[in-house]
Amino acid sequence: MLRAAAVAEKAGVPSTSLVCEGFVGQAGTTSVGLGLPNLAVSKVPGHVDTQSVEELKRNVLEVTLESVIENLTTDPDMAVAIREPEATDIVFEGTFEEVNRLYYENGWSDGLPIIPPTEAKIQAFLDFTEKDPHTAIGSILPDNRSATPWNVAINGVMAGCRPEYMPVLLGLVEAMADPEYGVEHSGNTPGAETLITINGPIIRELGFNCEQGALRDGFQANSSIGRFWRLYLRNVAGFLLHQNDKGTYGNTWRVVLAENEDAVAKIGWEPLSADMGFAAGDNTVTIARYTGGDVILSVFGDSAEKMLPYLADGVVKQNGWQLCFTLGIATGTLKPLLLLSPILAETIAKSGLSKADVRQYLYEHARWPAWKFEQYIGEFINLVPGRRTLQDLVNLGKAPPQFAESDDPNRMVPIVCSPDDFMIVVTGDPMRTNAYTFSHNGMLGYPVAKKIALPSDWDVRLRAAKAY
Amino acid sequence: MTTRNVDGIYAVHWPRGGKTVDIAPLAKRPDTLEGKTICHLWDYMFRGDEIFGWLEEALAERFPGVNFVSYEEFGSTHGEDETHIIETLPTRLKELKVDAVISGMGC
Repeated sequence: MLRAAAVAEKAGVPSTSLVCEGFVGQAGTTSVGLGLPNLAVSKVPGHVDTQSVEELKRNVLEVTLESVIENLTTDPDMAVAIREPEATDIVFEGTFEEVNRLYYENGWSDGLPIIPPTEAKIQAFLDFTEKDPHTAIGSILPDNRSATPWNVAINGVMAGCRPEYMPVLLGLVEAMADPEYGVEHSGNTPGAETLITINGPIIRELGFNCEQGALRDGFQANSSIGRFWRLYLRNVAGFLLHQNDKGTYGNTWRVVLAENEDAVAKIGWEPLSADMGFAAGDNTVTIARYTGGDVILSVFGDSAEKMLPYLADGVVKQNGWQLCFTLGIATGTLKPLLLLSPILAETIAKSGLSKADVRQYLYEHARWPAWKFEQYIGEFINLVPGRRTLQDLVNLGKAPPQFAESDDPNRMVPIVCSPDDFMIVVTGDPMRTNAYTFSHNGMLGYPVAKKIALPSDWDVRLRAAKAY
Repeated sequence: MTTRNVDGIYAVHWPRGGKTVDIAPLAKRPDTLEGKTICHLWDYMFRGDEIFGWLEEALAERFPGVNFVSYEEFGSTHGEDETHIIETLPTRLKELKVDAVISGMGC
């Protein structure tokens, strides 16, 4: 909404943006990032969703209207840029406590202690890449700041990463900068949090936990790289609470998830990296945003036939309002994630099923009745205008035909547009029969994967780093 | 008596990145909306369809000759077509001879 207004302004067309009362502050910080700090906004009192037609109309005509007229007919004062440090400037010298206080008070830390990013520590990280420290990896929205190996290293130091994690950090920032991912949506109200999944031999080399407690803090690689992601979103993308980050509740940062590739290989399945277009055995990072998740506990049975109905039930229950990303807002962008513990995956594979077979099963059985799907996208939420039925959406070419195979409101319809929209990762306690499923945030954090680029003498550098 | 921590002095660097966008001035505003063409841009959320209708009606009463271009000319500015719509917006605004934009809804 503001990005559209900014494009209009830069094309020479005056604009004003309609913003609910609670979002005026976010509009201000987003405008700074867009290079138009005085971008005009017109406040709508309260939140539109809780007002009667009469209340909303009165608020619009008594408050918003005058602001619209003023914003479109009065030239604003010229904005002035605030001077900021240069990339390599030393911004402070002080004790550990003083550094931490400064970083916290400037919004550069998350409230936990940070490791002071000194020249020597930064250089140790830069020794793990052949990139020039000041090469632009991309420009990160919404603050529109340059991502470079230099500031990747700084935030890696601060997060408590080890220098040898640097290739992973660079892969992650490359993924963050990919427009397909949509990092600019990371402050949206659903408050979804990124889950990073790592694949390849680097899991063992860097000591990621891919077994029991795979989503719990306690292993340095999993924990500190997860924290790095959130610090980078804060410091380079510009997502701070009460400013650009408007998650109504939000999540804390997630530890990195590592796939158990030995277990995957044992049953003849492909790892997630292969599903994302890379070769099995490549070192990769995959990112996607999820609003939450739930365990599917004690999956019982000695065959896929007995296990899959419960797994499908768990997956479908984790998806309600998110169906607006299947149809309504951004067709086909919902990508639910299912984690299978190795013993579950092995039992399913013993029944002769491939990963593709599991996806197909979920597509055919993780379904809601059509009336329920329509209730989620057209009645409970107000994000898909017009209260269109699934038949309407098919007729408009905005939904695949399988969503309107009959006019029976009780017909069962899928929660995704294609079996391939389900993502599956094998991880967790190898000998426990629990699964886990995540609610995906659709286009507001679409899955993106990148290959991790290792320096040419990786083995030598890694051995040297591990000696410390 | 407190003791100052003497575990070391750290010379530390700025964790942010340089801005990649320079500050730009906003577009020149007209003195009045009379006879102007105003377009609505909508992210297809949060009751914009109702709100744009009320604004149109009130603006038409206040400013003779004002014209409006519906959000339907563009499609949703937040969804699967977002990138394309934003990229082509300057051209479309020029083609439609738009003088001012009202963009919603941020909620």
